[in-house]
Order: sequence, then structure tokens, then C-alpha cells
Amino acid sequence: MDKIINVENLGFDYGEGWVFHDLSLYIEAGDFVAVVGANGAGKSTLLKLLAGILAPARGRILFYGRPLSEFKEWERVGYVPQNPARQQKGFPISVEEVVALGLLSPQRLRGPLTAAEGRQVAACLDQFGLRELAGRRLGELSGGQQQRAFLARAMVKKPSILLLDEPASGVDARAKAALYQLLRQVNEDGVTIVMVSHDLELAAQAARHALCLDHGICFWGPAVSALTHHHRHGTFL
Amino acid sequence: MPIPELWAMDFMRRAFLAGLIMGAVCPLIGTFLVLRRQSLIGDGLGHLAFAGVAAGALAGVNGVLSAAAACIAGALAIEAVRRKLPEAADMVLAVFFYSGMGLAAVFLSLNRAGGFSLSGLLFGSLLTVGPEDLWLIGALALAIVLFIALFYRPLQYLAFDEVCAQVAGLPVGKLNLLLAFLTALTVALSMRIVGLLLVAAMLVLPVAAALQTAKSFAATLKQSVAYGLAAVSLGLTVSYYTDLAPGGSIVLTGGLFFALSFVLNRMRRKGRTVEQRCSVCGEEVKEERG
Repeated sequence: MDKIINVENLGFDYGEGWVFHDLSLYIEAGDFVAVVGANGAGKSTLLKLLAGILAPARGRILFYGRPLSEFKEWERVGYVPQNPARQQKGFPISVEEVVALGLLSPQRLRGPLTAAEGRQVAACLDQFGLRELAGRRLGELSGGQQQRAFLARAMVKKPSILLLDEPASGVDARAKAALYQLLRQVNEDGVTIVMVSHDLELAAQAARHALCLDHGICFWGPAVSALTHHHRHGTFL
Repeated sequence: MPIPELWAMDFMRRAFLAGLIMGAVCPLIGTFLVLRRQSLIGDGLGHLAFAGVAAGALAGVNGVLSAAAACIAGALAIEAVRRKLPEAADMVLAVFFYSGMGLAAVFLSLNRAGGFSLSGLLFGSLLTVGPEDLWLIGALALAIVLFIALFYRPLQYLAFDEVCAQVAGLPVGKLNLLLAFLTALTVALSMRIVGLLLVAAMLVLPVAAALQTAKSFAATLKQSVAYGLAAVSLGLTVSYYTDLAPGGSIVLTGGLFFALSFVLNRMRRKGRTVEQRCSVCGEEVKEERG
């Protein structure tokens, strides 16, 4: 398998000491990695570093063998931040418009949506079960439906890497199971997923590997082993 | 068919044209500003423009140029600070707003010779718009319409989710600066012609009315332009027949549209909300009938 994400001696701090100091790992193409750990363990920070939102204080990240600072093919990366809908509760935007935003890139910046792009958006709405909700205002939807809309926005360009920050937060139990099922399907279609989650039990049902953080790596291996380890020793979370 | 009395006079035709251009263009750019929680940027920049005009009068420089320079510098500074403090966009505006007022007061106190009308800048004089003013507003409107037409979707992305727009590789910094520059130009060039009150209000009021009912971003943009045009048409007509201040009449009409839109929307939603279960994920959602 190709190592498509390489993290080398990564360190980051917000000015109050290291969040993590010397993190090294690689992620292979087609993997589904759940990043778990207690609050403040550095899960979201790691994801923001992978998404290029934060810059490392030391070390480096490589996507497809290229350092992130030189990486230009961001259309190959989908990103869903934590609680995106809660941040924009009253924003007047339809589900279809949210998904269409995902098609924008430095190469595709100007002018309205083309017919081909419209078809691409429609196909994505179908894939994520959003066709009937396409014209609805995002703020009117439930937490699970909103998360599916953001997932569809990240997936409309058919990226090969998907970065998810707590995708199941604010979603009820039934919708959570449906969301993880959807993510498994996306992963089976060949998309590499890195997902931050505070719920190891649920994440382990979907993910192949678990990366447990506590200001450094405290477990890195098959998700099922992480769950067993957690049950036996009560660590990680 | 006879031409209505108010259309028979040149100055009224120019007032209508200038007003309608502002009524369409201000909400167009205002939609992006309001949704980025920068509703008061028109006021903030307007007070910086006051300071610019006052400084210009003191230094013997053309007021339009000094206002434009102050506005553009202020807009770029506001944008730079906002990016560092994105969660406090309203506070950043307030800081610049009061600093502009303070600067204007200081420059006014230093200037004993006069040289400009404060009330003219504040309330404008839509009825004294000249042909050259129309050309100026027209050129400004064209630049704004072109900018929005070209970059409508990335600007929408920036207003909705700036972080994800950045992750997608969009030129966030450049687009923000262009929007700030055009906003500054709109305020600086228009306030002399139609008054700060009208420019700042037209950036916000039609958008506020549209936000009550629109279900999508595109609908918000279209409805806010419609509200802007209607406020100018009705406000100016009322002001002509009642001899009220045109700028004030237009702004009050815009405020009335917001109040009506707000009340009607509340009444409509109250009777239409039902609870349903989503067929895909099974979650309970509130849905409107029809």
C-alpha cells in the first residue's frame, strides 16, 4: 500500500507548552483511521495541521510525498470541521448550495455552476440521501442531515483523502449509526479517511485503525485492538 | 400616457437613477458583509471618511480623494485585524468607528476655515445629484456587479465558512481584500452624493428584510436587491409628495420593509411547523408544511 500521508517528528504548541512534541506516523491509501483521545489530547490540532489550517512548530507533514507547504492538489482532500452547522446556524443557504461550494478550487473560481457541475452536485445529493432536501435551508435540518450535507460538500469533488473532525457530534444515536455506515461505504469506495472522534466504541465499528493521542501517540494499531486495550485497561479516554 | 409629475423634472430623474443604482448595488455587496457579521462596516468606514474629509479640508486636499484614501486604508486595516480576531468582527468595527469619529472631531477642531458640510456628508443630497455624479455611481456599480458576477461563489464560501474555503485552496486573503476595497470605494464615493446614512443603511436594511424569508443564498441576494429598489422607489416618491428628506424617507421605508418581513415571517412559520421523522436517518426534524 502507498503511504499517502507521512507525519515526521511533528510538534505544535499554542504558546502554552507542546500539544505534542515528536509525532511520527504514516497512513496508507485506503485506510480508515480514527483519532481518539481525551479532551485537549491534540486530536483536532492534528487534524487542523493535516488540513493545513495550522502550521507545525516543528517537523513536517507530507501528502503524496510532498511537504504540505508545497502541496497544491487540495481538490484531492475533503475536510469537514467540527460542528460546522452550529457555527452558521442562521445562514441563508440551501443544501444544494452547500454541496456546490465543494466544487470550488483555485482552478475553478469564477462564474456560475456549469451544467456538468450541476449534474455532479445532483449525483452527490443522491449518494448522500439529500435529494429531497436539496432546496431546504440548511438551518432547518436535523444535526444528522446537516452533517450529511457537509460530508457531501467534502465528497463532491471525489477526493482521495477525507479529514473529519468529530463528524457525529450533535447527532442522535440512530443518525450516528447511519453516518458511520455511510463513512464505511465511502472508505470501501477507496477514500482514505482520518476521523477525529471522542467515542472509541462507535469509531472502532467503522475505522480500520485507531490512533490514540495523549500529547503524543499512546496507541497506534488496529481499531479492534484499541477497543480491547481500552476495555482491559481503561486507558486512552 | 402622461409622464408622472415627479418624472418630468431632470433633478428627480437623476435622483431616482442614483437612488436606484445605490438601492441595487449596496444590498448586493451588503449581503456578503451582513453575513460576515460586518453590518456596521458602512458606518465604520463612513466615520473614517469623515476624518478623511476633515483632514483633506485642513490640508487643502480634494475631499473626495482624502475620504477615499481614509476609507480604503481603514477597510484594509479592518480586514487585517478581523482576520486575526475573526470571532470579534463587530468589536473590530466599533474600534475603527470610534477612532474615525475621534479623528474627525480632532481635525474639525483644528480647522477654523471650514470648507465642507458635515450634514451634507451625513444625510446627502439625492435631489442635487448631477450628471457627472451619475457617471461616477454608474462606474462604481458596474465594477461591483462585475466583481460579484465573477466571484459570487467563492465570496459565498468565504461568508459561509472561511476556514474550509482556505482548506480548499481559495485565495481567501485576496478576495477579502478586494471586497474590503470595493466596500470602501462604495462608501467614500457615494456618501458625498447620497449621504452616509443612505449608503450605510442600504448595505444592511434590504439584506435584513430578505434574511427573514429567503431559503437560499441566491434568494437572499435577489430579494435584498428587490427590497433595496422598492425602498428607494417608494421612499423617494413619498418624500417628493410629502416634502420630507429623501434619504431619511428611503431609510425609513427600508426599516418598514424589515419590520413587515419579520412579522409576516413569524406569523407564517407559527402556523406551518410540524414535526416529522427523516426517512433516511430517522431523526426528528421540524418541517414547514407545503
